Order: sequence, then structure tokens, then C-alpha cells
Amino acid sequence: MRKIRVFFTKLGRAKYISHLDSNRCWQRSIKRSGLPVWYTEGFNPHMYLTFPLPLSLGYESKYECVDMKLMEDLSDAEVVQRLNDALPLDIRVFACAEPVMDQKEIAWADYDIFLSCDNAAALSEELSAYFAQEQILVQKKTKKGSKEVDLKPHFSVLKQEVEEEGIALTLRCTTGIEVNINPSLLLENFSGIDKVETTSTCRTMVYTAKLEQFK
Amino acid sequence: MIPKQLEKILLDVQKPSQYIGGELNSVIKNREEVDIRLAFCFPDKYEVGMSHLGMKILYSLYNSRPNWWCERVFAPDADMEQKMRENNIALYGLESLDPITNFDFILFTLQYEMSYTAILNMLDLAGLPVRSKDRKGLWPIVAAGGPCACNPEPIADFIDLFFLGEGEEVNVEVTELYETAKKEGWSKEKFLLEASHIEGVYVPSLYEVSYNEDGTIKAYTPVEASVPATIQKRIIKDLDSVFYPESFVVPFTSIVHDRSQLEIQRGCLRGCRFCQAGFIYRPLRDKSHTILDCNAKALCQSTGYDEISLTSLSTSDYDQLGDLLDDMLPWTVEQKINMSLPSLRVDNFSEELMKKISKVRKSGLTFAAEAGTQRLRDVINKNVYEDEVMETCKTAFEGGYTSVKLYFMMGLPTETMEDIKGIADLAQKVVDLFYSLPNKPKGKGVQVSISCACFVPKPFTPFQFEPQDTMDMLHEKQKYLMSCVKSKKISVSYHDADTSYIEAVLARGDRRLADAIELCWQKGSKLDGWDEYFDPQRWYDSFAEAGLDGAFYANRLRSYEEVNPWDHLDYCVSKNFLIRENRIAKEENRTTPHCRQQCSGCGANKLVGGKCFA
Ligand code: SF4
Repeated sequence: MRKIRVFFTKLGRAKYISHLDSNRCWQRSIKRSGLPVWYTEGFNPHMYLTFPLPLSLGYESKYECVDMKLMEDLSDAEVVQRLNDALPLDIRVFACAEPVMDQKEIAWADYDIFLSCDNAAALSEELSAYFAQEQILVQKKTKKGSKEVDLKPHFSVLKQEVEEEGIALTLRCTTGIEVNINPSLLLENFSGIDKVETTSTCRTMVYTAKLEQFK
Repeated sequence: MIPKQLEKILLDVQKPSQYIGGELNSVIKNREEVDIRLAFCFPDKYEVGMSHLGMKILYSLYNSRPNWWCERVFAPDADMEQKMRENNIALYGLESLDPITNFDFILFTLQYEMSYTAILNMLDLAGLPVRSKDRKGLWPIVAAGGPCACNPEPIADFIDLFFLGEGEEVNVEVTELYETAKKEGWSKEKFLLEASHIEGVYVPSLYEVSYNEDGTIKAYTPVEASVPATIQKRIIKDLDSVFYPESFVVPFTSIVHDRSQLEIQRGCLRGCRFCQAGFIYRPLRDKSHTILDCNAKALCQSTGYDEISLTSLSTSDYDQLGDLLDDMLPWTVEQKINMSLPSLRVDNFSEELMKKISKVRKSGLTFAAEAGTQRLRDVINKNVYEDEVMETCKTAFEGGYTSVKLYFMMGLPTETMEDIKGIADLAQKVVDLFYSLPNKPKGKGVQVSISCACFVPKPFTPFQFEPQDTMDMLHEKQKYLMSCVKSKKISVSYHDADTSYIEAVLARGDRRLADAIELCWQKGSKLDGWDEYFDPQRWYDSFAEAGLDGAFYANRLRSYEEVNPWDHLDYCVSKNFLIRENRIAKEENRTTPHCRQQCSGCGANKLVGGKCFA
């Protein structure tokens, strides 16, 4: 038995698939692919699959992964091929490999965000002022209700450009099993958000605390 | 590319994945390379429509033609509809996300009467006039088929043409004719006239209806000599050679029947006199087990579903069930695929078959007894006997079961309070049986639930002449039933009488109902199959405003001579046969043997040429 980590993109229409539905979709796709994956034992056996980082509904991603176990030895290339034949078109596998890092090591993720709006230049200035505050206190929902957190230490702006139809941003946010900061949380609390017509968000990379690419 | 307008609203609605397509096995074609665009519309929510086998079959069949592209469309839920209207988004196909307004065909499947207003709402959301006469161009042709097409008159003013019977051949023939029409630039009128010459096609605008002074129908008259006076339904003679899909679209979100489905037979040989399906799908045709096994393998392989159900009206009448289970059990067990067998009757099982079935069947114990006394069960031709119910319950209790569900109908022809009491008595006997068993499950009580529907008389059944009980009568019977139930181990639930009444009006209605349906839709009716959206008062107001008396349709005894709104449609169960059955039921309280025991001459054999059963 061999543990593998499968890397994939979730783009286009697939961004509207919730995490729960996405999980089921993977189960069925794997069944279709005929890959010899390991099932948990016990009274009600189910396919062993773990997704380290749930992706919010409405987000695209160019760097998602799922871990599973193979009962037979197959080449990585064959796994990629068979999964792609079985998955819906908007979910594409681009790599498969032995896991290098532990899922718990995930610490950061990068997001490309596009805020479409009129008068992007003015709004971009407002946004810069918002980002530049000493503290950005927001209410974050938790299992037990909500609590106040300061987002300031949890993000950095890697890019902010004014384009014809809006603002293009790249944000790096704290990500992981313990603390997970969605860029939406940061943007929802920006007073100018009402002027934004649509927001599109795409996760582009996931890193460890040392900013190594998560593999 | 997802249209920007759509992106803007999708994250503000519940379960957005149902509005965006892109599911496994959904068919994407290049717009430039197709000649005919079809929208297959199910007038209910995604979770219901996506469960429907007929839609899956026709979707795959249409798409098997390279130059035809068939897409799926469902009724949006209220939150989505509101967003669509606010943002001027027309109803669109889930595959291309293009508005269906200019498609060649807009096809509706008519599964239940309560969905009629959803059809109007969907046409309106597509930006189309709801009345057929106000849609002037050749396209879109709005067509409909399915069980309710056997009396399509209430919606005849909205639909351009109806398919009668099974669609695998006739739908294709009509689309082929349309290809010619489009190439040659025919008018809509010319196309509809030509289409009416195809067997199984009913074009309502080609018939004039005249009425008698008492409001009953005098005659249906074709407007042209070439238009057939009666239209015969279509069937597929040989299920072994007919198209069956190798794949189903697999949804992301969960739906009502989220599994593979295998159609093992069509039709039913029982002839329960209240059951429309038992007559309009005649004669019974089996599909052979070897072909079914191949279909099943292909489906499981292409969908990744871990459950497959065998569908039919009465699974236990499928002669090759044992063989089929022998074929399928080994590989389904190996691949961890569950099999389910709905519609099983209790009576005709050998012990050996029972053993095979118990391997796959895990669901609860249910009996459709339909009536509380043997006399009334004989009237409705439901051949279920009390000792059978008791015998099966006994075995089940001894095997550890502790709950039983009993299905009944209320308001059946000739029913008296004695029969209502019989419902409670039967349930009580099951309870008593449980406690009388020395080896009953230890430490547990028994739970018997009675579920009681209201009888709705339907066209093409021997009870098509019968009045429905008035709502007062139904309420009184419901009250009486409650008073007869003495044990806490018995629970009772019944269907809402309002819905059944409106169903009864629509099921046997005529063209004059169109105004009421349109009014009701304008008052906000659009998803009436759902309690949270259903308001009977809207219907009552609409009947009144349209100057119609619902009781005329629902609660009136119709004479055998009366011309019914469906009498010009030939479903190959003759009116004489229905009259004969009606008499046997009411005057003699006698049952009729099923088709394999003895042919009772309904007329359906003309569809297969010769005898139905060799
Ligand atoms: S013709 Fe006879 S055997 Fe055939 S469906 Fe009718 S009653 Fe049954």
C-alpha cells in the first residue's frame, strides 16, 4: 500500500461545488476510474480520502490536493491519466506524488483576487488605507459563536494594481488546520466593498511556515 | 465561460451547483456544429427532476445525434427565480448556459398535474408568451409528453404538440421532421400540421371542441381532413433493442434518487382499478436479464454510483428476477455496489427467490394494502389478502423487524365507514400479532404507521367515471379513522385533501381550465408540489374568477356515454373494457385475473400484434 498526494485545479463551474459535494464527487470519480484505493475497515467501509484544506464555495484554485492510499503499485502518470478521464472537466489533476510534508505544516496560501468596480483608482486608494491600519479587528465565526481577531498579522499584500475594470490583488493569508483566514473575511470588512460589483478569488499556491511550496 | 450576470448572483442562492451544470457526463457540444438545440425541461426543482429516469433516457438519446444538442432545464427555486428576474437573466440550459428562448424545441415532461403552473412559469422565465397562439415563429416548438399527456386538455392552450406514449421513437421522428422544416423555412402552422400525421403526435390546436348545454363535451372535430380523428399512443415493442443510456449525469448536490436506475420492464399486468400507470403503459413488456446485466455494468462504470435500483411498476412480476439477481449479485458485491428493489409485492415469491432478495434488500417493511376490507380490495382489484400481510409480518417480526408501514387510499368507489374502520382494524391486527409472538424481538415495541392518500379518479382507468368524494366527506372519514385507532403503537398520516381535489379537477379537466391555470400562475403558483409554496386558496380563487366549478370536474358521476376530454386519444385500453371493469367492480365486487392468468381483452394487444403473452 502506498500513500499518494494528488494535486489538482478546481476552476470555472467547479467553484460552485461545495466542499461536501466535492468530496462526494471525488469518491464517485475514483470509483469510475477504477483505481485500487484503500477503503477503511469496519462495519461501514468507506473510501479513505483526506483534503487538507477545504476551499470556500465560490473560490477557484490552481493548487488543491487530496491524499489517498493505493492498494496496487501504479505509476504516478497512470494515476493522473485515469483520474482525469473520470473527473468532471472543471476539475483537473496535474500531478501525483508521494507526500513530502505533513498536512499540518500548511501555513500560508496565496490568492489572486479581482474586484470589478467602476472608478477603480479611487477605490484602490481607499483599500490601501484600509490595509495600512495598525489593527484590523473583525468578528470571526467559530464553532462556539464568534470572536474578535486582528487580521493584521495574518495577511500581506503582494500585488495591488488598478486595471480598467477593477482592482487586481494578490494576497497571502494565514492558512491551515488551526487558523484559517479567508481573504473574504478581510474584504467583507472593508467599507468600500459595496462599490465592488463582483469578486473573483483564486487560490494559487499553498506554503509551509518557511514559505516552501507545500508538496 | 460563465456569463457575468450569472456569476453575480450564484453565490447569493442556496446550492448554486444545481444552477451551473458541469456535472459528470453532462454533454457539451460546440454551438457552431449543431443544427438543433433542445431544452428538456422538468417542471420541478433540480433535485426532483434529476432523479427522473425518462429524462435521462431522452437526454442521452437526443445527444447521440451529433448535430442535435439537448440540454437540461429545471424550475429554479424561489430565491434563484427572484435573482434571475431582478437581473434579467432568462431561463437557460445547464450545458451551454445560453438562454433557451431561441432554442428549436422546449420539451416538458408531465409527471404530475400539480406541476402545470411551473410550466407556465418556466416559459415566462424564458421570455416566451405562455400561450401557444402567441408564439408565432417556427421556433421554439413547445412540446410535452409523459403520463399526464394522456389527458393534456387543461394545458392544451399552452403547448404546441404532445407526444402520446413512449418517446424513444416518436420524439426522434418529430425532430427529424423539424430539421426539414427549418431547412425549408416552413411556418409553424405547416410544421404542426405535418407533425400531426406522425403516429403518437397530438396537436391540440388542430381540433375544435364543442360543448353541450349542460357543460359536457359534445365533440372533438379535426379542423382539416388530413388530421386524424383519434390519435394512438406509441410504445416500444421490444425493450431489448431500444436505446438505453450508458451513462447518467451525476449531480454534485444530493438529489432524491441519487443512484443508477435499471428499467427492468414497462407496463403492469395487475390492473388495479385506481392506478393509471397500470393502464396507460400496457401491455407489460419485459427486458431480458442478460441485456439488463450489461446495461447495469455500463451504468455503474460510467457514473461511479455505489447504488443501483431496479425500477418497474411491480418488480415481483418480472419473471427473470432470479436470473437477474444471479447475474448481478457477484459483481455488485465485489464492487461494493448496493442493489435496491422497490415495488415488490408480497404474494408470489418462492422461498429461494426470497433468500436472494433478502441478500440485497435492507429497506423497511411496507404494504400497499390500499383498502381496509377485503370487499373493497376486491372492488379496486388489489389482490392483497389479510393472511398474506399477516404471514409476511410474522416472518419479518421473527427476523427482528419492529416497524411496518401500511399504505391506504380513502374515498374509493363504494367505500363506507365500515371500510374506513377496516384500515384501523388491520393495523390493530398487526400490532396484536406482534405481541402474540413468543419469539418477537426482545425489549422493543412495535410501530405500525398508516399512511392514507385520497383517491383521485384518473383517465383511462375503470374509475374514470367516478366522482371524487367531496372534501367534507374526506375530512369526515379522516376524523372517523382517527377515532377508530385505539393503540398508541399505531400512527396515522394522511394526504392533504385540498391537493387531491385540485389534482382531480386537473386530471379530468378540459380546455376551459386554461384560464384558471394561467390565473393561478399569475397569483404566484409555481412550485405547488412543495408545501411551502402551495396555497389551495389561489386555486379556488382562480376557478371562481375563470367562472368554473371545480366540482363539475371532480365530484360528478360521469355517464358511460359522456364524451370525455381524452376520448379522442387512444391509449389502447378501450372504453368498452373500462366500462366492463367499472361494472364488475361496482355491481359484482369481483376481481379480474391479471394478464398472465387470463387476457381480459383491454385492447392493448393490438400494439404488439397478436397476443400479449405467448
Ligand atoms: S390485451 Fe389482454 S393481456 Fe394484453 S394487456 Fe390487455 S388484458 Fe392484458
